[in-house]
Amino acid sequence: MYDTVFIEHYFIYNKKYKNEIMELKNMIKRVKELDSSALIASKEFRDYVEKQETEINRGISLLCILSILTQADEEGLHGYKILKDLTEKTNEMLVIEEGTLYPILRKLEDDNIIKSKREESGRRRKFYSITDYGKKIFNHLAGFYSKLTEAIAPLYDINVNLKSEKYLFCPMCANKIELTNLELRFCDVCGHNIEKELKERGLKNE
Amino acid sequence: MSEKEMNNIIKEYLKQVKSKLPEWLKDKKEHKDILDELEEHIWSKAEELSGTGQPTLQSVESAISHMGKPESIAREYKRRGTPKYYITEEMWPAYLKVLGIVFAVIIGITIVSQVIDIIFGNIDIGQFFLNIIQGIQIGCLTTFAIITIIFVALSMEGYFPEDFKSKKIREKEKQQLQLAQEQGIPISEIKKRPVKPFIKPAGEIIGGSIAIAFGIFLILLPIPAVRTLINPEFLLYLQFAGLFLLIEGILDLNRGLIGNRQFFTHQIIHGITIGVKLASISVVILMMNRPEIFPIIVVDTPGATITNIGIAEEYYNIFRAIAGVIIAVIVLTTIEDFYKIYKAEKYKFLK
Repeated sequence: MYDTVFIEHYFIYNKKYKNEIMELKNMIKRVKELDSSALIASKEFRDYVEKQETEINRGISLLCILSILTQADEEGLHGYKILKDLTEKTNEMLVIEEGTLYPILRKLEDDNIIKSKREESGRRRKFYSITDYGKKIFNHLAGFYSKLTEAIAPLYDINVNLKSEKYLFCPMCANKIELTNLELRFCDVCGHNIEKELKERGLKNE
Repeated sequence: MSEKEMNNIIKEYLKQVKSKLPEWLKDKKEHKDILDELEEHIWSKAEELSGTGQPTLQSVESAISHMGKPESIAREYKRRGTPKYYITEEMWPAYLKVLGIVFAVIIGITIVSQVIDIIFGNIDIGQFFLNIIQGIQIGCLTTFAIITIIFVALSMEGYFPEDFKSKKIREKEKQQLQLAQEQGIPISEIKKRPVKPFIKPAGEIIGGSIAIAFGIFLILLPIPAVRTLINPEFLLYLQFAGLFLLIEGILDLNRGLIGNRQFFTHQIIHGITIGVKLASISVVILMMNRPEIFPIIVVDTPGATITNIGIAEEYYNIFRAIAGVIIAVIVLTTIEDFYKIYKAEKYKFLK
């Protein structure tokens, strides 16, 4: 691990301005050598791109944190593990400043979306897990985000597969419903009757 | 590398984070929790980065650089309001409330001080109105500027109104909210709190009854020995005052009996009350101008006889000032009635 991640990970010395240390965030932080003629050497360009990437990451990383917590067992996860999962599961694409995870977790806890428990072994860590209310919030947001990604995919000429054999997205509120529970008749967010959709997929008998 | 050195680097970083954290987090235990968690994180990361499971000075430094700048962490804690102009939506109602209260106090103080000045003959009527307008203008403008700056600053720091409440109160409010949800009591959209009842019937009934009793007492004045000592003109004023008090008492009693329903009737009753209160001011003004007939009844100890000694002339101005304050109080309670009429409008959905 250590050979790939070294101290200068965040700091790159610009050959042109020798002593100036630059901090690169988000995607462009992977750039290790800065060519003074490259577009990325322009502060104006860098600032703008960084700002926009941070904006885009903000909402998405929140969703991903919730997704990781939803998949975790009842014990929950501590902050460090959440970040590790986040980095690994997103192929090191979604990297947030690690310290900022804790304020995000605190806000989620304030809003009753997650709950925390102190570790009993004596380490001063907290274990975070999602609440029932949080699960509902997450399903709804995940549904919204999935449908949104699908809808905007043509704009970027990419394909998005919503795995409709596994999930149903409520036609009214986009809530993401897992198709494992065949007793389901209504969307638990908006109350829409989903029997018709289930029948169309042959999942419900007449 | 010595462990002490690594510890020092981490402690230095945490110290910087602590100094940047917003004040509302300074609920000490919370601070400690946050820093403890960050410290654990740095150690875990440093252990992993070193590759050997043992943190090194280099891996600690690297772990810290991964944490991000103290400012970024603090900024994330501060980022929690919903923008509305320069003051967040969450702080907006508190902002309007503080402005309202401060303006009311400034207007009240300005009017009362000018009323006292005019009573003592320090200023004439023209000066009186000029002073009031000037006082209100300057007072409201300066406080508006100060309060606005404070609220913009609080919004930027990510304050919420509940940060000014103790943990105990916050928990109590949470319980009340739960109870209200169970009982189906409507919850205010803005304040996120159960709607308070419009009136407390018991208070109105008791208050009304006392006013009725006192009003009847003033009208009848059933102590003949005292009655004969009082100037007939003053007796008439007293009876009028009693009559107004009686009417107000009856109106209050009625509001108490109606309780938290028929809000239109409440509005009508408050409307009548305003009329009665304004009429009663005339009686106070009449009394104010006749300090010489105001009775002060004393009991002479030797013979146990009661006499009316009246007010000494040098105290007339104080007498007038007291009357002025009474008028101001009546005016303030009249404003309250107007406010209640406005407030009842919001409760009409309850039916």
